[in-house]
This record gives sequence, structure tokens and C-alpha cells, in this order.
Amino acid sequence: MSSGLESYVNHTVSIITSDGRNFVGTLKGFDQTINIILDDSHERVYSPNQGVEQIILGLHLIRGDNVAIIGEVDETMDSSIDLSAIRAEPIGSVVF
Amino acid sequence: MLVELKNGETYNGHLVTCDSWMNINLREVICTSKDGDRFWRLPECYIRGSMIKYLRIPDEIFDMVKEDIVVNKARGRTDNQKNRGGSRGARQGFGGRGGGGNNRGTGQQQRGGPKSFRGK
Repeated sequence: MSSGLESYVNHTVSIITSDGRNFVGTLKGFDQTINIILDDSHERVYSPNQGVEQIILGLHLIRGDNVAIIGEVDETMDSSIDLSAIRAEPIGSVVF
Repeated sequence: MLVELKNGETYNGHLVTCDSWMNINLREVICTSKDGDRFWRLPECYIRGSMIKYLRIPDEIFDMVKEDIVVNKARGRTDNQKNRGGSRGARQGFGGRGGGGNNRGTGQQQRGGPKSFRGK
């Protein structure tokens, strides 16, 4: 049995967690509970009055419970984005 | 390594043990409140896996896990060969490899952790 995530392994992915944060990194592994191993990861912090701040995090293991969305990142398109010009309200957290 | 809990508190310490539920034992811990304005030093603590949001792990661990996987694969192969003597089930072997692979990925990372820290 293979989940759709198999095809994302060793690709850059963007993960939105249930607290509204956005992590971007290389998907190195996952398991049946969607625990995620992200390598060379960084967090993108969006704010309405300044550009996107990128916080380097390195190796990260995100527990599956908190994962809301996983998306594959088109690296060429992603690198063409000028993050410093982006102004955005941060995403709210899931209300438990 | 750093552990952030779902309530926003973070625990920074040396991993001692963990299990397949991700329950974690840390030593020499610095606990930081949700706002990051208060700190506590704890000689040790135990964290229930279900409380964890994410773990921040030293980069070296990833390479150590990779080595571990190679070693375990070699070990697994010899085990499989033993098993194959009795059962002709190709499906059995296949399922074992596929399913076990993913489990092994995270399981080992955690298991690899304490050993490596002890080493240091």
C-alpha cells in the first residue's frame, strides 16, 4: 500500500500545520500517521507589514497530528518568487 | 534536540529514550513557556508523544540514520533468507519490506537518537 506521499519523497514540499505555520523543506520520510521528516527545512513567516521572513530550521520531524496540508513545491517557480515583496496575513490556527 | 508541544511550550534537552508512540525522555532540559518569556531548568522530563507538535533534530542524526538503515537492511536480508527457507510467500516478503520500510524510517531515527547522544 502506498500513500500519495511516496511520490513527494526527496522533493521540496510545503507543509501547513494546524497552528497555521508554513514549513518548507525536502521530504525525507513519512509513516502511516503522517509523521513527516523534513530536511533542510525553513519556516516562512508571513506578515502584513513586511516581507516573508524565512527561519532556517534544518532537520525537522513534524508529528502527523499537526499536519494540515502537504504540497509539492515547484522549485523553479518557487525560486522565482520574490518573498520579500509578499505581504500577507498569517494563517490562523485550527480551533480545537 | 528541541521538542515543541501542541500547547506551544518547548523542551530543549538530550534525548534519553523514546518509544513507538513517540513518548520521549529528555535529560538536562530547558523548558520555555509558550510566549518564550519564562524558562525552567529540569534535570529530566518525560513527554507523552501525543502532546508533541514537532521535533527539531541535529542534522548529523539524519546521516546516522542512513547508515543505520544500511546496516539493518543487511541484517534484514539475512533474516529474510532464513525465513524464505520455510515459506514460499512472495507476497509476505513484499508486504514486509514495503510496510516495514516506512516504519523503520521514523522508528530508527528515534532509536538512533539516544545511542548517538550517549556516544557523545
